[in-house]
Amino acid sequence: MTVDLVARCQAGDVEAFETLYRQYSARIYTLASRMAGSAEDGEDLLQEIFLQAYRKLGSFNGDSALGTWLYRLALNHCLDYVRSRQAKMNKLTETLDAETSFRPTARRETPIARLDLERAVERLPEGCREAFVLHDVEGFGHKEVADLLGIAEGTSKSQVFKARLKLRAFLRGT
Amino acid sequence: MRLTAPFVIAGLAMVAWPALAQDNDHRIVLRDLVRTLRSGAYQGRNTGPEQTERFSRKLKIGRDGRFSLANIAGDIVITGGPGDEISIEAVKRTRGDKSELARVQITVDEHPGRVDVRTEGEQNRTDRNRRMDHVSVDYTVTVPASVVVDVRSVSGSVKVTGVHGALRAETVSGNVTTADTPRLETARTVSGDVSITGAAADGDLTAASVSGNVTAKGLKARGLDLGSVSGDIIVSDVTCERLGAKSVSGNVEYAGAIVKTGRYEINSHSGTVRLLLASPAGFELNANSFSGSIRSELPLTIGGDAARRDGNTSRGRRDAANSHSMRATFGDGSATLVVRTFSGDIIIAKR
Amino acid sequence: MHPNDTTLNDYVDGSLGTIEQSSVDQHLATCASCQQIVADLRDILRTAGELVLREPPIRSWSRLERAITMEPAVRRQTTGASSSPAEAGRYGSYRTWLAAAAALVLATAVGIRYMPLGRSDAPSTSSGGAAAAITADATAQSVESELRQAEGHYENAIRGLEAIANSERSELDPRTAATLQKNLAVIDQAISESRAAVRSQPASDPAQQSLIEGFKNKIGLLQDTVALINEMRKGNEAGAARIASGLKQKGT
Repeated sequence: MTVDLVARCQAGDVEAFETLYRQYSARIYTLASRMAGSAEDGEDLLQEIFLQAYRKLGSFNGDSALGTWLYRLALNHCLDYVRSRQAKMNKLTETLDAETSFRPTARRETPIARLDLERAVERLPEGCREAFVLHDVEGFGHKEVADLLGIAEGTSKSQVFKARLKLRAFLRGT
Repeated sequence: MRLTAPFVIAGLAMVAWPALAQDNDHRIVLRDLVRTLRSGAYQGRNTGPEQTERFSRKLKIGRDGRFSLANIAGDIVITGGPGDEISIEAVKRTRGDKSELARVQITVDEHPGRVDVRTEGEQNRTDRNRRMDHVSVDYTVTVPASVVVDVRSVSGSVKVTGVHGALRAETVSGNVTTADTPRLETARTVSGDVSITGAAADGDLTAASVSGNVTAKGLKARGLDLGSVSGDIIVSDVTCERLGAKSVSGNVEYAGAIVKTGRYEINSHSGTVRLLLASPAGFELNANSFSGSIRSELPLTIGGDAARRDGNTSRGRRDAANSHSMRATFGDGSATLVVRTFSGDIIIAKR
Repeated sequence: MHPNDTTLNDYVDGSLGTIEQSSVDQHLATCASCQQIVADLRDILRTAGELVLREPPIRSWSRLERAITMEPAVRRQTTGASSSPAEAGRYGSYRTWLAAAAALVLATAVGIRYMPLGRSDAPSTSSGGAAAAITADATAQSVESELRQAEGHYENAIRGLEAIANSERSELDPRTAATLQKNLAVIDQAISESRAAVRSQPASDPAQQSLIEGFKNKIGLLQDTVALINEMRKGNEAGAARIASGLKQKGT
């Protein structure tokens, strides 16, 4: 069924492409929102990613599963976006980091709610947010994260750890 | 603001009217035809009695069939019913010369499982001033209820009832009205109202106008996306898990359900946003306005998670509830309400 | 002697060597605060692994579909009228127009999410007045410059779309063109109010949000206008092509 779907997409069948979109959009949107740190940017990225997929489907040769191919395309796009923005925002973000003050969202006895964690992840500074999302949410290993982000494996680890501790501070107030 | 355009965009080709015929003879003929039509167009328009011509066609189509109708000027009524036949009745009308009617054609393309109907006429091409009300075609169509329908018009209203297959209904200047269309996906117009009742059981629905109102009533849908620029958005007796309702200068009123873990986002620049809630599920409210006021009749716990996060700093307390900003929780806070205006008021009331 | 943060994280990941791990185990047996850290980290990891998929906004598909139908590169099959046989090849300049329009359709200023610098900046009132003033100053300045940058990006996209809309607007009938123009004016009014608000209160989140919202609305309406023009043009050309072929057949 997927083979037929891909062929139809490659032939420019918009309905087939819509089926593809319906199947994968949540996954891609979720990844993009988390990597970018906001739902609005996630939405814009989602558009760009699928448009890119539409254009590049012609070169999809079935080496990997379609979902994997799409995910990779999405991930690369998100990383490009984050990197280009990071260059601009670096200075300001670091200054802000020190200033923010917050109180815990949940008392110690209660487990962390998913929504609270999502919001806290959005507040992570760039650099450690992507590492955290890729490693602890998406499940990539440190070596893979390092490859994807273009950093050393040790840096991936320290960024992930830094993210966890920041999240802990956001959520538990310590 | 006037759209002045002294801009040159690199790489943007200014489109010249494409040559229709490579052959010189044909080009000359076409040019003359254009001249004739243009001059003819100024005579007898809208002054004579109405001339009409009827068109009638029945076609068989499977229950999974697809039907599309593209009209230019004229009203469209599509009704879903039993059976496996599409029945098309059309009336061409003009107040000009009766010969005008022949220039407009109703084309029916039949394929296995698919029927495409189009109104075509030379006025499409030559009449650059778009005097589309010159000849109009009104359609009355019945289709088997389960057929997928795609109906578009330019100047004229679209009304669809009882079509249970996937449905798109669009026009440019005219109203769009749908009823009992559980798989309505899109209903759009530019200058006209959109009115939807009894639609979209599991799916997502987009309804939009630019200058007209969007009214959604008696629906159950998974996601609703309703928008207008200067018109109002009015939602009543509706259950949905996700809502995006937005206007710029119009009001937005939501008198629907709030379901557990639902997400409702409402936005207007200068219009009033009114939420009329009757025993809603618990929600977390995040309401913000630049200069509009915010008030609630429902018993809300000011603060809640969001405020606790930004804490007991003076800013946190100030933000949690001041006249232009409110973060509050109702009940178990499971749903999310995000309401934003610039100068419009935000009112949360009991229904 | 407490294990450091890195060690505790490694512990939670199960990537410590056997000896180190048992040494941490022993420490945890008697240290409540380190226990708490470990519990919190585990909590975070578990929840991170349980995060659910989020559905994109409903409008996303229709925006995308519009962008796709303006893609010239791929042969498209739509559910509506069959594509004009004349479409391929003959309308070179039209294709260039389409390509430019498609590029701008998604010009919704990605990456221009306005960082609400004014929002989380407020230091607690107990910090020194001077420090607070300096921070406020720097914040106001950076807000201004961020604003200008964001506006610049949006305005480029808007100008591009306006140029297309204006040059091709004769495709639309005067009434529709007038409605679109009038509503663009409504949005422009909203933008100018928002802009004034941001200038007067740079730290105000509602002001910032409404300005960005205004830009997005404007781009959205311009995109709709361009898409509409595109459809009209297609309708025209389909009709025109039929006429041309009809004439040829009649041999006039």
